[in-house]
Amino acid sequence: MRVKLKAGAEESKFIERIEELSGENVYACYQCGRCSAGCPVAFEMDLLPNQIIRLVQMGLKDEVLNSKTLSICASCFTCQSRCPKGIDMARVMEAVRHVLDPKSRDIFGPSDVSPELAIELPQQVLVAVFRKFSK
Amino acid sequence: MKNDKKEKRIGLFVCHCGVNIAGVVDVEKVAQVMKDHPGVAFSTNYVYMCSDPGQQMIIDTIKEKKLDSIIVAACSPTLHEKTFQEAAKLAGLNPYQIEIANIREQDSWVHKDKERATRKAIKIIKSHVAKARLNESLEPIKVDIKKRALVIGGGISGIQAALDIADHGYQVLLVEKNPSIGGKMIQLSETFPTLDCSQCIMTPKMVEVSRHPNIKLLTYHEVESVSGFIGNFKVKIKKKPRYVFESLCNLCGECEKVCPQIAPDEFNMGLSFRKAIYMPFPQAIPGTYTLDAEHCLGLKPVRCGKCKDVCDKKAIDYDMKEEFFEEMVGSIVIATGYDLYSLQALGEYGSEKYDDVINGLEFERILSASGPTGGEVRRPSDGKVPKNVVFVQCCGSRDTEKHNPYCSKICCMYTAKHAMLYKHRVPDGHATVFYIDVRTGGKAFDEFYQRTVEEDKVLYVRGKVSKIYKEGDKLIVWGVDTLTGKKVEVEADMVVLAMAMVKAEGVDDLLKKLKVSTDIHGFLAEAHPKLRPVESLNAGFYLAGCAQGPKDIPEAVAQASAAAAKVGDLFAQKELTHSPEIVPVNTDLCSGCGICITMCPYDARSLDKERGVVQVNEVLCEGCGACAAACPSGAAQQRNQTDEQIFAMLTAMLGG
Amino acid sequence: MRLHYYPGCTLKNKTTNFDLSTREAMKRLDIELVEPDGWTCCGAEYPLTEEKIVGLAAPIRVLRQVKDEGGDILVTSCSFCYAVLKRAHKAHRDDPIKRKRVNAFLHDDIKIDRWTKEKTTGFEDYDGEVRILHILEYLRDVVGREKIRSALKRDLRGLKVAPYYGCRLLRPRDEIGLDEPDNPHIFEEFLETIGCTPVDYPFKQECCGSYLSVSLPSAATEASYRVLRSAKLEGAEAIAVSCPLCFYNMDHRQELIKEKFLDFPGLPVLFFTQLLAWGLGVERSVLGLDQHAVSPASLFRESPGPEVIL
Repeated sequence: MRVKLKAGAEESKFIERIEELSGENVYACYQCGRCSAGCPVAFEMDLLPNQIIRLVQMGLKDEVLNSKTLSICASCFTCQSRCPKGIDMARVMEAVRHVLDPKSRDIFGPSDVSPELAIELPQQVLVAVFRKFSK
Repeated sequence: MKNDKKEKRIGLFVCHCGVNIAGVVDVEKVAQVMKDHPGVAFSTNYVYMCSDPGQQMIIDTIKEKKLDSIIVAACSPTLHEKTFQEAAKLAGLNPYQIEIANIREQDSWVHKDKERATRKAIKIIKSHVAKARLNESLEPIKVDIKKRALVIGGGISGIQAALDIADHGYQVLLVEKNPSIGGKMIQLSETFPTLDCSQCIMTPKMVEVSRHPNIKLLTYHEVESVSGFIGNFKVKIKKKPRYVFESLCNLCGECEKVCPQIAPDEFNMGLSFRKAIYMPFPQAIPGTYTLDAEHCLGLKPVRCGKCKDVCDKKAIDYDMKEEFFEEMVGSIVIATGYDLYSLQALGEYGSEKYDDVINGLEFERILSASGPTGGEVRRPSDGKVPKNVVFVQCCGSRDTEKHNPYCSKICCMYTAKHAMLYKHRVPDGHATVFYIDVRTGGKAFDEFYQRTVEEDKVLYVRGKVSKIYKEGDKLIVWGVDTLTGKKVEVEADMVVLAMAMVKAEGVDDLLKKLKVSTDIHGFLAEAHPKLRPVESLNAGFYLAGCAQGPKDIPEAVAQASAAAAKVGDLFAQKELTHSPEIVPVNTDLCSGCGICITMCPYDARSLDKERGVVQVNEVLCEGCGACAAACPSGAAQQRNQTDEQIFAMLTAMLGG
Repeated sequence: MRLHYYPGCTLKNKTTNFDLSTREAMKRLDIELVEPDGWTCCGAEYPLTEEKIVGLAAPIRVLRQVKDEGGDILVTSCSFCYAVLKRAHKAHRDDPIKRKRVNAFLHDDIKIDRWTKEKTTGFEDYDGEVRILHILEYLRDVVGREKIRSALKRDLRGLKVAPYYGCRLLRPRDEIGLDEPDNPHIFEEFLETIGCTPVDYPFKQECCGSYLSVSLPSAATEASYRVLRSAKLEGAEAIAVSCPLCFYNMDHRQELIKEKFLDFPGLPVLFFTQLLAWGLGVERSVLGLDQHAVSPASLFRESPGPEVIL
């Protein structure tokens, strides 16, 4: 598959939007991979955290569009605490979720939870998971 | 003080500097207007005053028009003041009658309005005319040079610098705080990219140093304080008590056998023990034992005394004390080396907790034939031969967040070397290197790294390790391979961390005593990062080796020789000249209030108690003018920057 | 003395043992925990994007209530709530734009006078006046080790407990600042103070899986398993948590973990305040041990013999 690296307006807008939403400088990442190395749930992901930010750096919005990774991040901040450049990868992840999921659908929503389970679950987890993944 | 009653004939040369000045300032108009200014005997403009024809024009005009003083209206004096002073000298004019009027950095480069910029240029030049009228002809101050050098630090850089200076024919004092010279290089097993045995290539140099007629080797000594100035430093040196007479000790080793006290062996990075009376390593220079009072049972009063009893040569003396003495030297080379970043700083690697997580120097000692394991690769915790070793690069380097932002330069090469040597010693073992980049910029370096990968089959995984923890007997290393996008885990027997190179421990105190500037990381600051790498901005101090920044042995040796060459430059001169634009004391006006003494950052001024006035050491005075500004009576007037001159300049600028 | 206390919604409903043990323990230290009037859910997840300012409104509202009631410290034992409150407070305090917008948003809140039941508007703007402390912090910095030791009534006989920090107590360092993320001590010191033996294990700050137990259960099962296994390997007799979600993932779901990972024999999960309460002499019935899926009853046996000798 050939990927064209265009340095066009659409790509710049995407990168700028990510930086604006996350408050992080994505260009500071030198792809050491430490975020991925320490991520406790990376084993479930299709794209590793460092690959997500790499695709953002290259402006390849479509590549991240369907990644399962976005809904697997547990916001544990291990990535942020270990990054040698001080980048908060959790924020970048959240920003990507926002940009690519413009309120049109739930990644994981109320319809995905059965009533029986909902009664059993601690409230905080329902609030948390819907805040993260539903519109 | 006025020069003389005769009106000076001042020549003005206005430079275009291509379009740098002429693009904004109407230089022709300026030259034209100034022609009629009182005092200006000649006025012209030219494209590039600093060029050969430009300078020739100055020389010719001075002679033809019999000029007493010239003003070059051009760029900043920091660039070409010297150029024009030299040109004037060739024409027979005193160089301190040259004025540089900066109409570029102060005018054409900062303004856009051409008319106003031109008017400003004229004002600037007028002010310099006012100053030039009152300039005195000055002669540079001559300073004797003591042709003797001090080298601080006995590692490879210090040794090389000392040898080169001594070979020039000058006397060198080599001061080393440890009982032996050798520094870090003598601790290494083999060096890249040749895999030379480090001790084999270094000991000949060490022996040369000890035998060289021009080198006075002072080991177990420290520099206490330095005063004075370039060419004339007074150094106070402390001799630490070794409790053993070097000249008498014959290295029989009987003392060591009977000594009951043990201490961690610093030479082996704490991986083994030594006695309180010890020789740091077999090839130590000077070849003598040293008694470490800190680990001895006690010397005041003597609690043990066994070593003295068995010493045939009567070389041991418990009554030795610290001694201080002073030496005069003309230049000082600082070669104090480096240390490795503390293992404690990386909690996520468990480096404090686990014995088998070690740094590069500890691994060197394990590899070394004279080390704690006799050159067999065994891990510190249980002595087992590790079959799976992980090497982690960039530990504490390239980290802008918590540790050191810079790259430590040598780790990529020595990690490759370590992995290669491990595979040579443990052929059925497995080595993995976790890296972000592999930096191999030196001669034959990349080829060496490729051998590690292709011939020794070391696995290089691109990804920075996030965590290391122990489970049972193994060290679990959490890494990632960014190239295939996979999170990886390795069960290692031992982990070697390439820790960052940082400033040497305790060097801050020394550098404060020397008053030498450092950069923000504590490495010595060079005078110019590109063009003056071995000199400090503090005159008379030269830099060599890792004290100035991370580097490998070839570079350290090159830098040491360069520093020695600079010392040679200095010593080759008959005498030093110092700028005469200093601040003398007018004893008629001076009341001895002493305010100027407190203002001086160079300690150049002092009170002459007998006469009740201040006196100035002309060689220490750098002409900063702080005293002149503070002096309430006007007794402190800077030569060619007097109050009278400054007011004249202001008057000219304000249209007077 | 009275101290403002934020239990969080989950403590009031699902993990009442956490709430009750906290309150009873503090009572033994002469502290009465008082909830701010009309408090609401904090939101559970701190909004991570620069634009989501609405998410700050709920926690700031709680803090404003505390301020209004004259409190300057708010303690909580749930680390999820602690993280949200503390981070929201910091963002609100340090960013004047966010502060202005949140305060403006909350401006229309109606205040009802406690006594007259009259409706008035007029809450004072919140400008970062309240300090948020986790109970562990409060115990360490305000109550102090000595006071706790002298108040102990039971000998916990060096029970080997693995402290579980999880994510929220430590990260991000510059917003939470409770301790060093890769080398923390506060929880271990607490366990030592009350007479337990803290167990050092490498997974004490690794994530338990958090909300993934709902959206991607397999990930949470494995993550929690790794934490429990590590603690067990290092000899722990129990693991102490400070978050109801960690508790759910590691206690409630422990059966699922054991089904998937056959090598794990099981480990009781406790709230740290249950241990504190027990040490301070609170009755067993109050600790809510029946709310655990993995019964820790055997750890809370009345010991025959004299009271604890300090």
